[in-house]
Amino acid sequence: MSVTAKQAKAAERKYQPIYTSNPLADCDPLTQERVGQLENYIMKHCLWQFNSRGWDRRKQNAGILGKTAQLLCGEPVDNPTPLEKCYWVDAVCLDRAYRELFPWITTLPADEIKALIKALHARLDWLTIDGSLNTELIVQNY
Amino acid sequence: MPHHEFECSKVIPERKQHAVIKGKGEDLTSCLPKGYLNTIPGSISERGCAYCGAKHVIGTPMKDVIHISHGPVGCTYDTWQTKRYISDNDNYQLKYTFATDVKEKHIVFGAEKLLKQNILEAFKAFPKIKRMTIYQTCATALIGDDIDAIAQEVMDELPGVDIFVCNSPGFAGPSQSGGHHKINIAWINQKVGTLEPEITSDYVINYVGEYNIQGDQEVMTDFFKRMGIQVLSTFTGNGSYDDLRGMHRAHLNVLECARSAEYICDELRERYGIPRLDIDGFGFKALGDSLRKIGLFFGIEERAEAIIAEETARWQPELDWYKARLQGKKVCLWPGGSKLWHWANAIQEEMGVKVVSVYTKFGHQGDMEKGISRCGEGALAIDDPNELEGLEALEMLKPDVIFTGKRPGEMAKKVGVPYLNAHAYHNGPYKGYEGWVRFARDIYNAIYSPIHQLAMVDISKDAIPTDRGFVTRRMLSDKGLPEEITSSTVLSPYTGKFDSVSHLRTKTYPDFPRAADTAGDAEEIIAVVE
Repeated sequence: MSVTAKQAKAAERKYQPIYTSNPLADCDPLTQERVGQLENYIMKHCLWQFNSRGWDRRKQNAGILGKTAQLLCGEPVDNPTPLEKCYWVDAVCLDRAYRELFPWITTLPADEIKALIKALHARLDWLTIDGSLNTELIVQNY
Repeated sequence: MPHHEFECSKVIPERKQHAVIKGKGEDLTSCLPKGYLNTIPGSISERGCAYCGAKHVIGTPMKDVIHISHGPVGCTYDTWQTKRYISDNDNYQLKYTFATDVKEKHIVFGAEKLLKQNILEAFKAFPKIKRMTIYQTCATALIGDDIDAIAQEVMDELPGVDIFVCNSPGFAGPSQSGGHHKINIAWINQKVGTLEPEITSDYVINYVGEYNIQGDQEVMTDFFKRMGIQVLSTFTGNGSYDDLRGMHRAHLNVLECARSAEYICDELRERYGIPRLDIDGFGFKALGDSLRKIGLFFGIEERAEAIIAEETARWQPELDWYKARLQGKKVCLWPGGSKLWHWANAIQEEMGVKVVSVYTKFGHQGDMEKGISRCGEGALAIDDPNELEGLEALEMLKPDVIFTGKRPGEMAKKVGVPYLNAHAYHNGPYKGYEGWVRFARDIYNAIYSPIHQLAMVDISKDAIPTDRGFVTRRMLSDKGLPEEITSSTVLSPYTGKFDSVSHLRTKTYPDFPRAADTAGDAEEIIAVVE
């Protein structure tokens, strides 16, 4: 790898905070409750949100939750690379679990589902990256 | 932060940062102990060293290799009296362990000649074995022996021989976890890509972070083969040295123990674009989801579903028999690293027990994040505990059983708490559907063994009742259970064999046609039709 490429990678991996407080704090109680249910399932049954570095977690959360929102809304999902396909695999399992365990989600219109998953994404980024007490998250190498 | 201060560790105030109790409403932003730091002086840690992590955890499960430690003979202590990573070649790597037996004179005059002599002798003694790993130790690292140079000399002199050098002396990290990291990176730097493997399937995986404890790898590989998946390599349990040189040709890395082997997965993703899929081989739901995800990735989900349906139908009634009898039993889940999160939720949901504490000897904060997330309120989480803290926690929590290593486990037994070996298992394998039932059976046997009552009787002074016989496990466990459970004709205790692994070694698998073959057939059919 060239020096320039290494520098670019290091810059990409430098910790850049997004949230400085719980992004759900000002949400209405219904959203908080719904996000809480979705979040609890992920934290109890999934591992993808816990890759060891913050920059990697950011990619994982965005990749998998982005595709989950598409699946929940019945939209086609494009997987041009093996890495994208790997996100999709976890998203399919999450989509199925949410439909089975939280049937209320299937009654929501697409824009509400997207808003809900956006709130979940923010909450997960807060829990696992920006608000986490894990001091290894800012390490740039594996 | 809900830190917990042990009475016994008040003299080591820094220890307070290493234990938390998960309170109501607590999450990872408020409840996480420190982790993966140097052990605080004065705290008698239960950790292993970085050499131990590299050799005894990750290197040595490779089965067709002479594993030699360049150092004092004591460094090779862990072999088959403590380790249970079996292999299908008559456990070669467990039966034979090698050390260069470095003494004081070598520290003074150097040990490179001694190393070379040992390497040559070992290859001569086992002429069929052409692969070797050499592990650096503290002593030889400090005197600066150039192991790489000696290894190269031998490879030049003995054509056909290949040697891997692992430079991870004991002091190279806070715990064995430092050694995991070093050997992961050393392997991908030195060996991956140096051999082109034969590809026999359209679906090719590396199975990573799996050490074949009592046959775990063989159970999981059976599922993969039933799906028509080629397991190119296993890193490293029951794994072959040369297979692991070809890791770069897999389509997917399936990662089990992220604590010990995520590094090589991440580097394979980085360097070769092979994605990483984290799975759980423990627990019916987690295992089912894992097989399903691999099936989805390759577009063969129906093959995974067939296995899940068959295995669940076979083993669910037996798991439920134990679940009915383990309801509410308190567990201290005190393994080394990854099992605290592999097991924490699964044993609660599928066996009915309650995890009252998790600890990790060498885990990082990331492992505690997973473990604490999967525990309920009130759980005590401890990083790098010492023996006194363990005893104090047992006194405070009064668990019904503890899952840990054999050293703290024997200590728990002395205070009347039954223990199961979380690292090497009691009657494993524990992975797979049948394995999960075997684990439930071991928990049941541990908790309800009549020995715990008998052991409390002091024959020198207590009266021994002579009007009744000994109680049995069943008498203890079924007391108070409803009739529909105790007399169920559906539920049943474990009915599998003593050895659930050996038969897999001679099993034959369906021959799934490859896409290229199918395409060829289709072309032939079209040609014939035309």
